[in-house]
Amino acid sequence: MSTSSEDKTKKRTLVLRHSSRAVNVCVSDRHGGYQSSRLTGSRKSLSLGGGSKVLDKSHVQTPRPAVRVFDKDDNDVTPQPLHQADPGTAQAKGSRFFLNEISGGSGSDQTTATGSFTMPFSKSVFESSRISSQSTIESVNEETEDTFSKSDQPISIPDVKLKKSTVKEPVTEDVLKEIIDIFLTETDTISLLDIPSTFVSVDSDEADTVIERNNQYAELCRNTMGNDDKYVNRSVQTLDGAAKHKHVQSDNLVMVDAGLTVTTWDMYNTLCDPEQEKTVRSPQPDKTDLPEAVVDSSRTAERSVSVGSTVSSVKDVDTSTNTANTDSELQLIVQSERFQHSLLVMERSILLNIFQPQLAAYRQLPVLEDPDSPVKPETVEQREEDTGSSQSLSPSLQSLWVFSCRLSRGRSVSSMAWNEKNPDLLAVGYGQFNSGDQEPGLVCCWSIKNPTWPERFIRCDSAVTCLDFSVNSPGQLAVGMHDGTIAIYNVHSRDKSRVISSHECPKKHLGPVCQLRWTLQELSLSGEDKAEALFSVGADGRICKWFVSSSGLDCTDLMMLKKVTTMKRPGGNKTNQTKENILSVLTPGLCFDFHPADPGICLAGTWEGLIHKCSCSNTQEFLETYQKHFSPVNCITWSPLSPDVFLSCSSDWTIQLWKQNHQKPVLGFTSTQGAVYDVRWSPKWATVFGAVNEQQLEIWDLKTSIRRIVLWSETPADK
Amino acid sequence: MAEVEETLKRIQGQKGVQGIIIVNSEGIPVKTTLDNSSTVQYAGLIHQLVMKARSTVRDIDPQNDLTFLRVRSKKNEIMIAPDKDYFLIVIQNPSD
Repeated sequence: MSTSSEDKTKKRTLVLRHSSRAVNVCVSDRHGGYQSSRLTGSRKSLSLGGGSKVLDKSHVQTPRPAVRVFDKDDNDVTPQPLHQADPGTAQAKGSRFFLNEISGGSGSDQTTATGSFTMPFSKSVFESSRISSQSTIESVNEETEDTFSKSDQPISIPDVKLKKSTVKEPVTEDVLKEIIDIFLTETDTISLLDIPSTFVSVDSDEADTVIERNNQYAELCRNTMGNDDKYVNRSVQTLDGAAKHKHVQSDNLVMVDAGLTVTTWDMYNTLCDPEQEKTVRSPQPDKTDLPEAVVDSSRTAERSVSVGSTVSSVKDVDTSTNTANTDSELQLIVQSERFQHSLLVMERSILLNIFQPQLAAYRQLPVLEDPDSPVKPETVEQREEDTGSSQSLSPSLQSLWVFSCRLSRGRSVSSMAWNEKNPDLLAVGYGQFNSGDQEPGLVCCWSIKNPTWPERFIRCDSAVTCLDFSVNSPGQLAVGMHDGTIAIYNVHSRDKSRVISSHECPKKHLGPVCQLRWTLQELSLSGEDKAEALFSVGADGRICKWFVSSSGLDCTDLMMLKKVTTMKRPGGNKTNQTKENILSVLTPGLCFDFHPADPGICLAGTWEGLIHKCSCSNTQEFLETYQKHFSPVNCITWSPLSPDVFLSCSSDWTIQLWKQNHQKPVLGFTSTQGAVYDVRWSPKWATVFGAVNEQQLEIWDLKTSIRRIVLWSETPADK
Repeated sequence: MAEVEETLKRIQGQKGVQGIIIVNSEGIPVKTTLDNSSTVQYAGLIHQLVMKARSTVRDIDPQNDLTFLRVRSKKNEIMIAPDKDYFLIVIQNPSD
């Protein structure tokens, strides 16, 4: 609008409004500052409308004197008309003036009232403008002058409908094909609406003058209260703009309700391993249900929301799942380590349920009664020389269970060894007693927790004759075989490839290895260091000490068990009788045992019934020879609790109790007419030992009786 | 792999074992020796139970975790070995 230029310089304080009723100096528009000049401009136009309507009816073509507007600096700021009417255009008709119905209340009254009013008003305005222009207060009279100046040239916007008629060229093909250059230029910035603020900051430069003017105006208002000659109150009506409805469409917002419960462990998980969780989530198949979307957005909600989603998916399990998917999943699961471990635990739990009474009895725990069914005690065999499990009435041996599986069916047990470290582990070697029909041997490591399947089983080349677990490294199991080979297996891992064997050793035993023993040997003279070494006695009459070399096991001969053909029996002297033999043939050693306190001393039992005491340092001759048995000595064992006492059992149906350095046995025991195969001391009671002969397992208690066995049980099978 | 199969067979052959179910992490049974309806029922119900049990254990101490769950009832015992990726469920009647 053309008034924009002057708006910046002029400052208006009031806007005068035409009103239907009273004339008030409208002060309501003032906001303690300045009016928007643009608004005043617009109001001018409105008032113009009101005025022009009036004017039109009363003074249509009355020419007006040219009005010139001066501001306080006497600058000519005459506003230019909005529209320069073409001389050729028709004069505006009164009806074309834009009518402002809002300004009117009762039309006729207004016209008459205002009509009669405007004339003197205008005149008075003119007069007052000239008067007031000299005053410091810039009044709105200038505005009204503007108003009326505009009215001189009645602006009829609807009249601008007349356009020049343009000559239309016929659109031909050529015209269409013409290449027309189109120039794109940036237009000047058109400011459509600029509403400067009516507030001024207290810190600005104009603030002082503004405050002063405000005060002056306030003073003026106070003064007008009683001054009715100069100032008349008028009321003003604000005009409302025409409202227009506008419809807007937007996309519907998708709202999702998500609820979650955060638990302590959820927060802990998020804190500890968020990346791990992310990778775990990725192999999951995609799901399209809503909680998944929430999972992507917030990680804290991830765990619990996915729990919720899995629960919901379980609820509506789709039976038509992709079978290929589940198969591959099954493979994945089944092959994982954890699954195998779970299987192991599960199997043991099941067996625990089944064997609970027996296991409890073994471990001397209270037997849990099954509350819903009667307990039927199983009576199965137990191969163990324990101190006898208890029954209610009289002490008797009760078999607890049998270690048997299809692998071991039909095989004879040749040797057994308990593991020191893991007292639940029992290694059993299977082999034939007869020299003929050798079948490949088998070693099974049984756990008490599972009597139906061994934890490990190792197939050996030939029949196993003896076993022993190492003390220092309890995972190592030394196995002696019928063909003289000694192998050391590692039972820790399920992988059976790692084995050390003496197969290639040139000095290996030529006959069956009859017994193996791991013993701590003193390395240095001080006796502090103990290294473990493997000793074996074989049917070729040698006692060897084995060590691991680069190509397997290698041995050094410790002792040769020479055959003693002629034996003199002096009273109590120790004589070296071996040197009397011409042909020193080696006699098979069947068993040996090291002294528990002094590992340099060992006792060896021979095929001929002689027991030799040997020393590891003296490989040539025996320290002592004990002779009582006239059949092969099957087992020798030192007493763990009383020193210098040992037992020997042999195929002559007797068990002899010896004391070291005594030529004659202290006691001899005979129970049945069968070869005694094995004898063991009880680890806890010094006077109790167990023996196995062809018919039964016997428990002897020396405290109770020397002559008779205390407990025995029937063994159904041979051995 | 064959070992695992053999172990599963052995478990199945143990005294009193009524069924074995292997359920994947979403609660869908992938291997079972029971009939379909029982399997689905067991899988769904036990899944929720295990979640609750695990939540309980971990709420008390977040560093703890559930390793094995046994539910002894009048007629049988349900043993569950839970894990992140699977559940192994065995139903046994030990007095059989």
